[in-house]
Amino acid sequence: MSILKLENISYHYDRSKVMVLDKLNMDFDEGKIYTIVGKSGAGKTTLLSVLSSLAAPTDGKIFLNDRDITKIDRYKFRSKYVGVIFQSFNLLTHLTALENVILSMDISGKKFNRPKKEIALELLRKVGLDEEEAKRRVLKLSGGQQQRVAIARALSYDPDIILADEPTGNLDGETQDEIIGIFRMLADEGKCVIIVTHSPDVAKASDITYELKKPDKAS
Amino acid sequence: MYILKNALKSITRNKLRNILIGIIVLIISISACVSLSIREAAQAAKEDTLSGLQVTGTISFNRQKAMEEMKKSSSSSSSSKSSSSSTKTDRSKFDFDVLQGSSLSLSDYKKYAKALKSGDSYYYSGAVSLNATGKILPYGTSEDDDSSLSSSSSKSSSNSNSGNMQPPGDNNNNNSNTQNNQDGMGHQPFQVNQGDFSITGYSSYKAMLSMFGDDGSYKITKGKMFDETSDALECIISNELATYNSLKVGDTIKLANPNYEKETYKLKIVGIYKNSDSSSEENNRFQMNDPANNIYMNYNAFTKIIKASAKANHKMTDSDGNKTSAKLTENLAFTYTFKSVDNYNSFAKKVYTLGLSDDYTVNSNDLQQYENSLLPLQTLSQTAIWFFIIVLAVGGVILITLNIFNLRERKYEVGVLTAIGMKKAKVALQFVTEIFIVTFIALIIGTSVGAAVSVPATNTLLANQIQSSQSTGNNVKENFGFKSDDNNGTPPDNNGGPMGKMFGQSKAQNYVDSVNSATNLFVVMELVLVGLFLTIIASLAALISIMRYEPLKILSNRS
Ligand SMILES: Nc1ncnc2c1ncn2[C@@H]1O[C@H](COP(=O)(O)OP(=O)(O)OP(=O)(O)O)[C@@H](O)[C@H]1O
Ligand SMILES: [Mg+2]
Repeated sequence: MSILKLENISYHYDRSKVMVLDKLNMDFDEGKIYTIVGKSGAGKTTLLSVLSSLAAPTDGKIFLNDRDITKIDRYKFRSKYVGVIFQSFNLLTHLTALENVILSMDISGKKFNRPKKEIALELLRKVGLDEEEAKRRVLKLSGGQQQRVAIARALSYDPDIILADEPTGNLDGETQDEIIGIFRMLADEGKCVIIVTHSPDVAKASDITYELKKPDKAS
Repeated sequence: MYILKNALKSITRNKLRNILIGIIVLIISISACVSLSIREAAQAAKEDTLSGLQVTGTISFNRQKAMEEMKKSSSSSSSSKSSSSSTKTDRSKFDFDVLQGSSLSLSDYKKYAKALKSGDSYYYSGAVSLNATGKILPYGTSEDDDSSLSSSSSKSSSNSNSGNMQPPGDNNNNNSNTQNNQDGMGHQPFQVNQGDFSITGYSSYKAMLSMFGDDGSYKITKGKMFDETSDALECIISNELATYNSLKVGDTIKLANPNYEKETYKLKIVGIYKNSDSSSEENNRFQMNDPANNIYMNYNAFTKIIKASAKANHKMTDSDGNKTSAKLTENLAFTYTFKSVDNYNSFAKKVYTLGLSDDYTVNSNDLQQYENSLLPLQTLSQTAIWFFIIVLAVGGVILITLNIFNLRERKYEVGVLTAIGMKKAKVALQFVTEIFIVTFIALIIGTSVGAAVSVPATNTLLANQIQSSQSTGNNVKENFGFKSDDNNGTPPDNNGGPMGKMFGQSKAQNYVDSVNSATNLFVVMELVLVGLFLTIIASLAALISIMRYEPLKILSNRS
């Protein structure tokens, strides 16, 4: 049984009539890392926003554990079941890294067996931010550091599915490996990790790779 | 609750913005507090003054209204109510028969008394002019005058009971008697009636007390007071009159119907009173008669005279040669007393359901007087409320504008929060909480400041208001319906000439000129409402834009 299943998903943005996603069928299982590759503008980010329920598909159905996703509250879905690492991070830049992480934990409404601050600091350390950096405003962190905060935030409330849009785009090779290591660890814990990437290295490290192509304009 | 935590963090992060909002709310709340306190003080002063206040009321013919109607059509006299009034009234602009036409009888008044509530009551008096006859001479006349006074019939007709004689001290008597035997004088109805004596019959001692006032200027010096209930023709006379005519207690005086000299009445003197006020100028001025010639008795006895006169029904000839009745007509003054202002107000409404015509009004001069004393405070209160509304409106607009600008800055924040799964309603709640906290901190400070300055501020403003009230004080007098009476036009001085005093004006100058406490719990509660109102107003923009926000936009917003 796949945790996430796409059936004939199509999508186009409100204003434009160009199909960005055209009748996609995909299966995502627990405990595996998926990579989605494709040229710029192929619709990778769009797919992630459909998967994270930020956008509702124009056509087709998505199932979460065989349950139609439209029956689940979109906000609850985002705050509990999926952790999204946005291509542009979408951190609250005037908050500290730590505050950003804790905020997500607050919003999830989940109960934690340890103080949130402790969990958050540990997570941030895991992705490579020390306590001083964790307590710095995001605005004053480098791009790579911000990306790590975004990763920590997505993991903080222990979601079943992790969606990452170019999570290693701003990281050096060494850190990239570290991050992939983390994703592998999460997959081993039974999570479903879906990564959008341009990096062949990341694709190689994954279990399954989907290639996304621009839908044929003629069709 | 993380929303509150976030809100507090957000406030401290955006100090400058929130201080700006705070200052605006502070200004609004100080002015709101002062304005509302002024209104509250005015209300309290009104209640203080009017609660437990016993007032008197009378029913009077709405003379002013009638006169204005007559002014419009001078031909009205031909179609007027007056029945036997001669055509001469056509010469006059006003038909005084109608103007004086309150022909409410004692039984009418008693019928309307059914509108009274328990604790209320009434009293009344009747007055009539009688001429000297026999040995007695009115005080202030010499023997030389005697012949002209007591003999001529033309004098009699001019002495017809024109009904302008007022019982002493009674301000409320607008209902004059007229039975149309004043022909030839119809165009001069306000002429002072110098009928030698003014005989007044009181329904009770209480009525007498109310009319004389309780300042102790009247005092029985010899003999006793007349019996309150008996209908024996007993009276009390002034010591001036007694001395002048060498009268003493036990003597009988003989008085004549001024219209018909042969119709006489004998009154027994049971007491002699002294009026220490009798020489005072103001009394003389509006009392028409020398007060020394006032003779008092009880109403039961008095009404016997009136009835006897009606029964005799002598005829007299007026200046036109017409024969009319010479019977005495009493000048009735009927006063209702009310336990409370509420009772008065209820009476003033209810009495019309008992059949009182719209041409009559119920009025209370003492209530009017108290209300006038509150006038500056009430005016100030109204101004304050307008000021409050304007400040609130302007402040509200500024707050809305400020918040619209804030939201532009915070759109990204809304996007992130909703993208990571925070419900829009919760985002909105956080934003509203922020505004609420800032508003209420400012409001608490504003209320404290406002409460501290409200009393001195009110008193200062009130002093200004009184000053301007006094310069327009004459307007108040016009309220008494004196506008149309040129002879008795408003005195130029504000501190109440005799006329003013008569109509309760002197007391009305004692304006309520200070308040003690102004801000009370009620005001604080209203300010809380103001705070809520401002919060809602300021949040409105936030709520709308958050609710319309589409979280997907966050993805296209790659700053
Ligand atoms: N908000 C939007 N409104 C309309 N069209 C959009 C919007 N966002 C993206 N598109 C269009 O949809 C298509 C897919 O865009 P998308 O962002 O999914 O590409 P991508 O595969 O993520 O590219 P990249 O590798 O550069 O991130 C593009 O042609 C893009 O122009
Ligand atoms: Mg993309």
